[in-house]
Amino acid sequence: MDKLKLRQICFLFAAVLPVSKLIIYPSTLSYYAKNDLLLAAAVNFLLEGGVIALVLLLARRTQCTLFELLSNTFGKTAAKAVYLLLAAFLFFSALLPVLEHKTFVTQVLYENVPSLLSFAPFFAVSCFACVKGLKTIGRIADVALPLFCLAFTVLLLLALPQADFGALLPVGAAGGRGIFNGSLFGLPWFTECLYPLLLLGHFRYEKGGTWKTLLSFAAGAGAVLLFLAVFYGIFEDLSVLTQYPLAHIAKYTTVFTTLGRVDLFFVFAMTLLAVFCLCTPLQLCMHCVRTVFPNLQPVLPAAALNAAMLALTIVFHYSFNAVQTFYMIYAAPIVFAFCYLLPALALLLRKTPRKKEVPHE
Amino acid sequence: MNKVWTWIFLLAAGALTLLFFSNDFGLIDIQKTAVVAAIGIDVSEEEPDKWSVTAQIAVPDASAAKASNVSIPAAETVGAGIAEVNRKTGWYPTLVHCRLILLGDGVAEEDVFRVLGYFLRSEFVEDSCLVAVCEGRAQEALAAASPIGELTATAIAKVLSSEAQKTGLVCVTDLRTFAKGYYSPAKSGYLPYLSLKKEAENENGQAAGGGKEEGKGTGGAQGEDVFDASRTMLFYEGKRAAVLDAAETLAFNLAEASTDLAFGQVETKQNGETTVYGLKMKITGKKRSLALQEGVPVCTFRIRANAQIADENGRAALEEIAKKAIVPEEVLRAAEETFANKLRAVLAKTAESGCDLFGLEQALRRGFPKEYDAHKETLLRDMLPVFDIRFSTLH
Repeated sequence: MDKLKLRQICFLFAAVLPVSKLIIYPSTLSYYAKNDLLLAAAVNFLLEGGVIALVLLLARRTQCTLFELLSNTFGKTAAKAVYLLLAAFLFFSALLPVLEHKTFVTQVLYENVPSLLSFAPFFAVSCFACVKGLKTIGRIADVALPLFCLAFTVLLLLALPQADFGALLPVGAAGGRGIFNGSLFGLPWFTECLYPLLLLGHFRYEKGGTWKTLLSFAAGAGAVLLFLAVFYGIFEDLSVLTQYPLAHIAKYTTVFTTLGRVDLFFVFAMTLLAVFCLCTPLQLCMHCVRTVFPNLQPVLPAAALNAAMLALTIVFHYSFNAVQTFYMIYAAPIVFAFCYLLPALALLLRKTPRKKEVPHE
Repeated sequence: MNKVWTWIFLLAAGALTLLFFSNDFGLIDIQKTAVVAAIGIDVSEEEPDKWSVTAQIAVPDASAAKASNVSIPAAETVGAGIAEVNRKTGWYPTLVHCRLILLGDGVAEEDVFRVLGYFLRSEFVEDSCLVAVCEGRAQEALAAASPIGELTATAIAKVLSSEAQKTGLVCVTDLRTFAKGYYSPAKSGYLPYLSLKKEAENENGQAAGGGKEEGKGTGGAQGEDVFDASRTMLFYEGKRAAVLDAAETLAFNLAEASTDLAFGQVETKQNGETTVYGLKMKITGKKRSLALQEGVPVCTFRIRANAQIADENGRAALEEIAKKAIVPEEVLRAAEETFANKLRAVLAKTAESGCDLFGLEQALRRGFPKEYDAHKETLLRDMLPVFDIRFSTLH
């Protein structure tokens, strides 16, 4: 039942996943890479694109899921253990974006300090998405594409006249260290290359699927890079202060002096897309849990998962900066192992089950 | 999961999402909210190491927009001053609609970012709000009576509007632009320098903006006042560095800012008589470029403009009035010369004050990164200006 179309995976990369990089990532990146933020982000995108290409190569060779590949190679118990680790990682990787989104919503969309309850509805939506399984990822991607195209285009068009792209010059001013740090500390925002590995066997590989997916990924990456360029062009040295550029880049257009903040309609649309984007790792986490415990009613782990995330959101309500710093400094090896190393090594997994050995008589 | 549960989930999620976006969890009663339209900041008269903070609060009224000014005479920080407004009045001051930050000129004697830092930190203040320095005290400027019966803050914002910028009368700056300049390596910026001109008494003696100090009425100004922002204050490291007069401001706007249509005066001598022409100038092209010629930074101002005669101080023949679109050659050359002289005066002030008004340091950093270190300290002093200015007319 948990089947997706290749088209939906393409839309996911082009229109849903880029949104996660438009909230706090730009200002974080500009802190390290300054005017070379495009280079630092491009390094991350190239790495992600390479891993996605490898996974698609695997998808072309086999229709097995990752769980089947792991079972074929190491046996079911080991496969279950790996899936539990993956579930833990996906849960861990979802925490920073959830906290980021909560902070964004409560600080930008609310005039006064809102109650913690304000963000609680997200967990109801996420719980529902988790219960419905992987197919909702595809359906959301179908809906998200036109919404993303409209909202992103309008925001960019409103922001472009204010941008001075000369601010990106001279290239290389931040030095190799700045670009490297930007890429390294930006890794927590580049975990999506793991997703195709978990979707293996849940979509039918079509002819030219690799190019279609990579082109969609490139379109999403291009959108993020364009956003980063406009963002730095507008704020320059102040970019580190502008924590939520999504809500700010389009507000300087003079039309707003008479009409008000029309751009907020499109910021709302992007916020909604970000909700879908946040649900994806939790849905995949749920998928891993259900693969390990197939007889479990889906509503129970979904509720537990989202309740745990809500609890962490409450615990870290005043500690977003500490959590972000922790992820940036300590999470890089974990992200690299799960999102880059594991998909690359997955190519070596057995595509067919081991033949049972017949004992010699 | 059956369909009933699906629908319950969907409806619950929908209802909660509506609340989520409409902030029905976090509203503060509007009756208890003070909508701050402008903030004025001065050096405290009582304690010079503290700030006097004046909040102009818009009072919604069916007949007309009214304002009430609340001043905190001595606050350690701007944030503390704004918090004290809340404490003393019981109103929750909301700064989302604050469109103007007015600094008294005493504040500009030291680094103005000691007070503007608050607005950069605050998520509730839009960094697109206008910033200006006023002659004298900001508290008095905000208490002035606008002749057009509006909030004083609105009247000042009109003077500082983007439309005024387009005609070259004012150098408009918002908080973001000013902060970008301050935090850039050039540490430079500019703000419009506002002065209050006392005009004739209002016939009925009513003032639109009354002045109140800490909630006590002081009786508003009886006259009506107009605001002039044709001068520009230059800043280096956040401190007042120099002031451009109206003509220099116009020259800077024509050369650098988003001014495309402006009026200016040109003097010519014909047959021993001095004639003053009022010219309407339409800028058709402007470009400022920096080059290093034999190790010397050379800045070329290339400006192209069309001119028309709008007025002259002498009697003109009917035929001359009919040919207003055609400007005599000597007037065009005089206009070019006047423009170049004013730009020279502006450049002299920037070199003397250290304020990199034209963004030359930025141009050097972006265009000549290898030579940047060698020239960054002496750029403004060593730079040779070249003026390639051409005024033309219809033929």
